Amino acid sequence: MIKRFAGFCAVVFGVLLLTFLLIHLVPGDPVEVMLGDAVTVADRAQLRAELGLNQPLIQQFGTYLTKLAHGDLGRSIHTKTPIVELIKTRYPTTLKLAFLSLFIGLSIGIPLGIYAALKAGKWQDLIVTIVSVRLSAMPAFWLGPMLMLIFAVWLGWLPVSGMESNASIVLPALTLGLGLSAILTRMTRTSLLEVLNDDYIRTARAKGLTEANVIIRHALRAALLPIITIVGLQMGSLLAGTVITETIFSWDGIGRLLVESIEKRDYPVTQACVLVVALSYVLVNLLTDILYRLVDPRVKFAS
Amino acid sequence: MKKLSFSIFGFWILAVLAGRLFQLNPNHIDLNAILSLPNATYLLGADDLGRSILARLLRGVEVSFLVAIIVTAVTMTSGVLIGLIAGFYGGKVDQILMQITDIFLAFPGILLAIAFAAVLGPGLGNLMIALCITGWVSYARLTRGQTLSLRNRQHVQAAESLGASVPRLILRHILPLLASILVVEATYSLASVMIAEASLSFLGLGIQSPNASWGAMLRDGVRYMLVAPHYVLIVGLSLMSLILAINLGGDYLRDKFDVRTEK
Repeated sequence: MIKRFAGFCAVVFGVLLLTFLLIHLVPGDPVEVMLGDAVTVADRAQLRAELGLNQPLIQQFGTYLTKLAHGDLGRSIHTKTPIVELIKTRYPTTLKLAFLSLFIGLSIGIPLGIYAALKAGKWQDLIVTIVSVRLSAMPAFWLGPMLMLIFAVWLGWLPVSGMESNASIVLPALTLGLGLSAILTRMTRTSLLEVLNDDYIRTARAKGLTEANVIIRHALRAALLPIITIVGLQMGSLLAGTVITETIFSWDGIGRLLVESIEKRDYPVTQACVLVVALSYVLVNLLTDILYRLVDPRVKFAS
Repeated sequence: MKKLSFSIFGFWILAVLAGRLFQLNPNHIDLNAILSLPNATYLLGADDLGRSILARLLRGVEVSFLVAIIVTAVTMTSGVLIGLIAGFYGGKVDQILMQITDIFLAFPGILLAIAFAAVLGPGLGNLMIALCITGWVSYARLTRGQTLSLRNRQHVQAAESLGASVPRLILRHILPLLASILVVEATYSLASVMIAEASLSFLGLGIQSPNASWGAMLRDGVRYMLVAPHYVLIVGLSLMSLILAINLGGDYLRDKFDVRTEK
């Protein structure tokens, strides 16, 4: 556990270093790129001083970390608002979307996976497998517009985009959730099939337990481990997927903030968004590991 | 499935060649044809500037393939090299290299590529640089894991005790055994690079107008979805067919080489 935590800290440090270095990858003078030509020399000097770009690199990194420790992510160049405020308003919106997508993914993926495993080898299984394999390969910027076209433009059931009504979340959440559900279906099916032939399942059946009881209490519990891993890993692509999905559906989350900041060359905001998303992912991975241990006491963080 | 994959590929290659042969111009603007439906002049309709969707689609797929092949070649070479070094030498070298890959893997999906493309500035070259910087990690991981176990195989040990040099050990005794798994990985990565390129172009970070790209076309298609739904539909279906073909091709190769994936 301690080793795992040390690894976690090392990765967090690496993420901080890489996001810090991002701004130094800007070709030429980052201040000039951000402000454009229409400003005075004094303005540039001020921004340079504010970003600390006139100090040695090591010292800059030190300042960056110190500020971060105090919850200071700097200011937006464009609107001058503290970036922390921007993140505070945008992050919950993204979380809402991510959790609903996760919910959709789980509530479609796991039942469908169980169904496919029970019908293994039959035509129902084949259809579920084919659909889920293909669906999981479909990128958000394909699935999103197609869902939008069908449910918003043609059928008119749901709003096209924006965040005005409560129903606005449905399409972006479906876009992210369907891809996830496809992956979960496959994973649930595979891991259930692996345990279904085990001795203890036969014993459970022999005891006269109902089929539902056997599947849910005995088989699914054992099959849960790989599913948890996949959910943890997929939370990452879910978080990254929000960038595209939020852009498609004009959903005002952190992904859209990132894209907007890139368009305005507001690099401190870009930097902060990348940092927040990456750190969320690292944290989710750590939590997955811990959960894994709780579910299966055999796992002792060996590696 | 194999036939389906090859026929979709064949279809696109023929279509691109035909487009070149008939000299379809992806940048010709016809103001009378703005957002027109498919018709005799514009087989797939026209976009928001009155340019032929067909011509732009074909030019877009050319660029997309080119990017995918170059990026895959670069990331595979560098990733495999790093993985071989880490797996062969082990110890401190391995630890440091794997720590670096861990950091890269901490950025989910294409987030890091988005970040790099954002600071490098838009454009085809920078897009490829961004995809190359972030793409080598999976190859490095895969190669390292395989090398680690191959390193202790008897034939490698035998060659080593006979005095074979390190490059010879790696190139003649380890790399050939990795070939099939890498070919399969590269096939899938063609699809993921194409998706990544389209994603970045969709966000306005990749190929810039007036050059055609599927990502940018999809974005325009979404923008004009209410007036011209055929636009986004055509681009979307084309993209899906190509990704499907590549993945089916990958599945075929995987089964043929009997490669076990850890998916």
